Amino acid sequence: MENLYLGVDIGSVSINIVALDKNNELMFKLYERNSGNPIDVVKNGLKQFKKKINFDKYRMGGVGVTGSGRQLIAYVLGADTVKNEITAHARAATYYYPDVGTIFEIGGQDSKLIIVEDGLAVDFAMNTVCAAGTGSFLDHQAERLGIPIEEFGGLALEAERDVRIAGRCTVFAESDMISKQQYGFTKPEIIKGLSEALVRNYMNNLVRNRVLKEKYIFQGGVAANAGIKAAFEEELDAEIIVPEYYDVMGAVGIAMLARRDILRNKIKTGFRGFEITTEEFKTRSFQCGECANNCEVIEVIADEKIIAVTGDRCGKWTASLEDRVRMDLNRRDASSNLQKNQSKHKSENDIYKNNEDKEKIVRQELEELERSEEISGIKK
Amino acid sequence: MKLSFPYMGPTIVYAKLLELLGHDIVMPPRPNQEVIDLGVKYSPEFACFPFKVITGTYLKLMEEDVDTFVTSGGHGPCRAGYYGEAHKRILADLGYDVEMIIIDAPSDDYKYFYNILKKLKGNNSWIKVLQTINIVYKMAQALDELERKVEILRAYNKNSKFNKIWMDIEKNFYKIKNLSDVKNLKAKYIDKLSEFNNTIPAEKERYRIGIVGEIFVVLEKSINYQIEEKVNYFGFETERSQYLSEWIKENIIPFAGRDLEKIANKGREFIEINIGGHARENIGHILDFKERGFDGIIHLKPFACLPELISQSVADSISEKYDIPILTISIDEQTADANILTRIEAFLDMIREKRYREVV
Repeated sequence: MENLYLGVDIGSVSINIVALDKNNELMFKLYERNSGNPIDVVKNGLKQFKKKINFDKYRMGGVGVTGSGRQLIAYVLGADTVKNEITAHARAATYYYPDVGTIFEIGGQDSKLIIVEDGLAVDFAMNTVCAAGTGSFLDHQAERLGIPIEEFGGLALEAERDVRIAGRCTVFAESDMISKQQYGFTKPEIIKGLSEALVRNYMNNLVRNRVLKEKYIFQGGVAANAGIKAAFEEELDAEIIVPEYYDVMGAVGIAMLARRDILRNKIKTGFRGFEITTEEFKTRSFQCGECANNCEVIEVIADEKIIAVTGDRCGKWTASLEDRVRMDLNRRDASSNLQKNQSKHKSENDIYKNNEDKEKIVRQELEELERSEEISGIKK
Repeated sequence: MKLSFPYMGPTIVYAKLLELLGHDIVMPPRPNQEVIDLGVKYSPEFACFPFKVITGTYLKLMEEDVDTFVTSGGHGPCRAGYYGEAHKRILADLGYDVEMIIIDAPSDDYKYFYNILKKLKGNNSWIKVLQTINIVYKMAQALDELERKVEILRAYNKNSKFNKIWMDIEKNFYKIKNLSDVKNLKAKYIDKLSEFNNTIPAEKERYRIGIVGEIFVVLEKSINYQIEEKVNYFGFETERSQYLSEWIKENIIPFAGRDLEKIANKGREFIEINIGGHARENIGHILDFKERGFDGIIHLKPFACLPELISQSVADSISEKYDIPILTISIDEQTADANILTRIEAFLDMIREKRYREVV
């Protein structure tokens, strides 16, 4: 049996799933648009993954999740490693190109710059206040020009003249485009102008006064865009490398990090199994309101059963979940009838009810403890 | 006279001071989305973020019929010196007539300071005032000492456990009446925290992050997205450049030691003239943290803060010259939690990998 390591990148625009074998060879790759329900996309992705891989030969060795939607999916999958996308992207790029100096990563809503020295990320920058200079900017303009995003970049190479588009802001870029179109510039020329505007934004907002070093790697969904690549090459006057798996580098990186964590800590994967493709997931949130912190508490529910609680700063709700899980496990051990168990769980699941009595007892105990501590404190 | 004040850091300290002097005070709300929204709506767009938060706090307090606010002043090019006056006008435009008691450093204008003090003193004797200031200063010191411990221990324990202890600390300190209460409570919690001392690993496995920046965003957790808790969560200790008791000591207590001034003087290398705020102090703190063996610096800057914008731009050259990683985070009402978390995590990963590599 050989181990496979799953990497999942939940981006704002796309969701990528890859699986690596023990030699870091890519065994499975999926690039899917994020339609707004990441759990469904991941479930479908896992179905495809299960179909494609021969599980007589392979087994799940570890799961890593990255991207801006990583927290929720990590609970759903039972991930071993949950890390930010900057670390993941740097990991993948330095694996394929150990002598890389600069990584440009432009995704749907984030653009990142990672400076690497001797295979180690030493500095990074990420777009702050504005989405100009990201994939969404291009997406929006492609739509406006009525060109599918896949053909968008190639068209820029057909431009004959240069035109400067104001790229400070996606909305203002649009009004500038309309006026430039009226001056008689063609679509390819406008697209070229847009690509240059995006690169200009990137240089002004992220690179700033940093000194960039060879070799340059360009990854993320926007790396598919030949126009942007050309604009970067013109700006830097150097060759830009687009890796083979440019669009799923974040997922590749997190799979590698999951493998490293599993091996380094000598643990077994917490993967919740392929049954999750049939489970129903929900989240709900409420404001705790017990103190001035007003924490927004989020619960993840799988088939009516709460599997994760997060967001509470004092640990009150998280602790209550841990207690419940322990209770559930005890019960599961005691009874072999799963069906019966589940109906029991349902009644136990009303956390508001569940906590009231317990809380009273805990509060009483604490008060007593405090009283005795106060008395002894004064004596001291 | 119904008094209130802005919410910043260990707010119970100012509350206690005014309460012990016999004033009728209203505890301001901790800044939350509602307060921030109010502030953003009624502040000039180009004002710095702390200004907007304080506007929101004041407006929210209008529901409780507060008629007097006590706030800090300032001098020099930073706009914080105008906060009190500008807020008074904003409130007046909205139809609220309030009095602003603006506390400036006594060294700026002794006479003015004396008059303010007289106003706040009420019917108390001067001896009582001095005693009260002493109690409150000791309380601030105790709180800061405990918080420094929490900031270290939380890195090696569950966040929630220490958040809870800290919440208890704040709650119980608010109940104190005299100096012996302060002493007892401090001893009690020092004992409690010392129980966890064995969770601190060996010296070479400890990672420390210094947090510098504009005082409001550094001190106030609800505004800076609980940055210290986030850093602690990843197993890194934190220490701030600003603690309230130190601020009181430097600015209010006459003839006290001026340690911070020495630190600020280190910043002269990069910022030659005083540009207001805490820009030069922060540069000094960065160098101080580096000398004390810290692994990295997180620099917090409210969006549109002029002094911190300048310290951000010299941060690059400090980082290069003294080989210390610096991450600047700009904070305003538009900042998203997930985004901050990503930046911090990546920054800390980078530091850990670097150290790991150096050891190997």
